[in-house]
Amino acid sequence: MKGRVLVITSGKGGVGKTTTTANLGTALTMMNNKVVLLDTDIGLRNLDVVMGLENRIVFDVVDVVTGNCKIKQALIKDKRFDGLYLLPAAQTKDKNAVTPHQMKNLTNELRKDFDFILVDCPAGIEQGFKNAIAGADDAIVVATPEVSSVRDADRIIGLLEAAGLTNSRLIINRLRPKMVKKGDMMDIDDIIDILSIELLGVVPEDEAIVVSTNRGEPAVMENSSRAGEAYRRVARRLIGEEIPMFSLDDSSNLMDKMKKMFKLAR
Amino acid sequence: MSVELLMGGGGSELLVDLKACKGFGAMKLEMERSLCNVDHYLLESPVNIDIGSKRLTERQLRELEDIMLSHGVHLKNVVSNRSPVLSGNTIPINQSVAEIAESGDTVLLCRNLRSGQKVLAQGHMVILGDIHPGAEVVAGGNILVMGALKGLAHAGVYGNESAVVAAILLRPTQLRIADHITRSPDGEDVTVNNPEVARIRAGKVVIERLKF
Repeated sequence: MKGRVLVITSGKGGVGKTTTTANLGTALTMMNNKVVLLDTDIGLRNLDVVMGLENRIVFDVVDVVTGNCKIKQALIKDKRFDGLYLLPAAQTKDKNAVTPHQMKNLTNELRKDFDFILVDCPAGIEQGFKNAIAGADDAIVVATPEVSSVRDADRIIGLLEAAGLTNSRLIINRLRPKMVKKGDMMDIDDIIDILSIELLGVVPEDEAIVVSTNRGEPAVMENSSRAGEAYRRVARRLIGEEIPMFSLDDSSNLMDKMKKMFKLAR
Repeated sequence: MSVELLMGGGGSELLVDLKACKGFGAMKLEMERSLCNVDHYLLESPVNIDIGSKRLTERQLRELEDIMLSHGVHLKNVVSNRSPVLSGNTIPINQSVAEIAESGDTVLLCRNLRSGQKVLAQGHMVILGDIHPGAEVVAGGNILVMGALKGLAHAGVYGNESAVVAAILLRPTQLRIADHITRSPDGEDVTVNNPEVARIRAGKVVIERLKF
């Protein structure tokens, strides 16, 4: 069994890399895969907080690559799922403590025990980015429907290609169907036109994400969350299932249904 | 290397160790790298450079000074094998193993510690301020936080099991005493507004109300 290493990257900060990593990892685990989430944002780690595992950290990725501890000692088992693990980034250590070569060795080590290794990449294109992509088989690029985010995603895709990761796939995050309909927001086709890579999924804007992130519980665990549903679909595509794309009408249908129910109740 | 603030008495100085560098180019790179890693609050401290047995020309010294100025620090002194040893307050900033300052028994720190900041003390540690989540306080002796402890505290780091951690508001992400590691239980949100103290009793870390 050989695990797949997927790096989740975006270039721009704040578009949802960490949220995407946490949710995809959880969704893949819910489909009976063994998953490890690898936080490479050394010095500004967040994945542990989003997963609600911050207070369990003793060793981190820098301890592992410098031989301070064994991988097993640093892996933190999720409190909800058996097959989900987190390898946290260091917070107080030097971010240059890790080299791409060491990262490659680390991911290759993790491959032996896990089906999926999801690497949460830091924002930017410096050392941290180079480390994050070093051991990756494929990349998932996250972009929001904003010109700045799409521009950065384009730059990132170029850098990924230069590094030999030629089949990157795109997740469009925080899409607001209503704004797209009114023409106030870039639509999916515009973005794909610009970036010309395969679309892996579309995640709608969802306030439930803020709540779940603050609580440290990924949104995919909640059946009612629309973003959670979108992430579950992305996860199913990742394991090779053919799932139709999220359609913009979903939300209005849901609203109509709600309205109907409301009327009936009255 | 990690940027660690080591407490001495009074103001501290930084020391950049350039002894191991081969040639001036390597020295410049090492200087650049070291200064990039220094936390902002240290940047007002004067910097010494240790060149070991090497010599610098006027011009090379000026180049190093330019690098320092671009990082907002000033050169205080150049140390070589021939010059006298520096005072005890000097902090080497580019050594991977933390060197503990040989200062008095108790260190007093009057500021908040934010995420990513780490303070080490050989003896006891008193902090007039808060420890935010993601910050670390490590002491050989006891730790007293006159504020909220929400980050990580490690008392008795050299194995002293009688060390205690006390805080006005004790809400650590993780609490360590000697070689015991604990965290608060999941899903439990206890609101205690009294000062508390954590210590080891019968091989377990327990938290008690702090009695004066």
